Amino acid sequence: MQPEAQAVLAHHFPDLRTQEQAARLGMWLFLATEVLLFAALFTAYTLYRFLFSETFQQASALMDTGLGATNTVVLITSSLTVALAIHQVRQGKGKAAAILLLVTLAFGATFMVVKYFEYSHHFHEGQLPGRYYAYADLRVPGVSMFFTLYFLMTGLHGLHVLVGMSVLAFLAVRCWRGAYSAAYHTPVELGGLYWHLVDLIWIFLFPLLYLI
Amino acid sequence: MAEGTHAPETEAHHGATRYVVVWVALLVLTGATYSAWRVHLPEPWHLLAAMGIAVAKAGLVALFFMHLWEHRGPTRLVFATSLVFVALLIGLVLLDNSTRFPLANPPREGERAFDPLPELPSPPPAHAR
Repeated sequence: MQPEAQAVLAHHFPDLRTQEQAARLGMWLFLATEVLLFAALFTAYTLYRFLFSETFQQASALMDTGLGATNTVVLITSSLTVALAIHQVRQGKGKAAAILLLVTLAFGATFMVVKYFEYSHHFHEGQLPGRYYAYADLRVPGVSMFFTLYFLMTGLHGLHVLVGMSVLAFLAVRCWRGAYSAAYHTPVELGGLYWHLVDLIWIFLFPLLYLI
Repeated sequence: MAEGTHAPETEAHHGATRYVVVWVALLVLTGATYSAWRVHLPEPWHLLAAMGIAVAKAGLVALFFMHLWEHRGPTRLVFATSLVFVALLIGLVLLDNSTRFPLANPPREGERAFDPLPELPSPPPAHAR
């Protein structure tokens, strides 16, 4: 075992592989709680879409589907660059991994900028949650619930994008400095899992809010 | 041991290419769901196509980008369990609301009031209250 790999092995694990498996299982448990957190919002969406199905279709027609599709492509591509970064760090190529993580960060930033333009358009049009809804061209029961759920779901997701970007920025710096090797790169694997989950949630938000 | 069997030498052969293939498949599916939205499929298919494609895309991300394909065992179990509970939560809430007494839900679109009103039990006489 390489000395730097020996240094990161906690004393209660027999070897690095067991330690990595335990870490990955812990990360998946955390991701399961994230899935359940978003599931509460998806349930609320399902309920209100069932109660006001026609309203929700009219309200989702107000969304800019082109921007939503653009953001879908941006996040999917950012998932690819994270996967490739992990592929590089598994072979001990820390600098290549760092560059790929920086590209991922750029995609994450692009996503947030597009989201900002969408949000400012909704604010300008008065397409807002609850009592702040002031859009004159669509005034039917349940329409403000669509925008309540839209802002809650995309807002919580956007928060996750920002957290994921912070994690990836930290990992990029560590990768560049050569903190990870082919033998030990668990943090990059786990950070990548988090970013993929953010992508996974957007994959469902896009059709629910923009398409149906 | 099935888990954690990603020796760098075996990864190098297919790893990067496989990720790119999955990425292309995800882009194609995104294009497909966008096209299905543009052509305005008839009512149930509109929803089914969008959600079916979303599930397929999520499956690709979970299996290949998140490595569930090669990591069998507990990680798969944890993720599958969370999905079971998501299905329970959404399914039971939907089942509850779709089988309610009509007056427990807001009126459906197109009917401005409940017309005709469902049969209501007659109120008890005044002296019985």
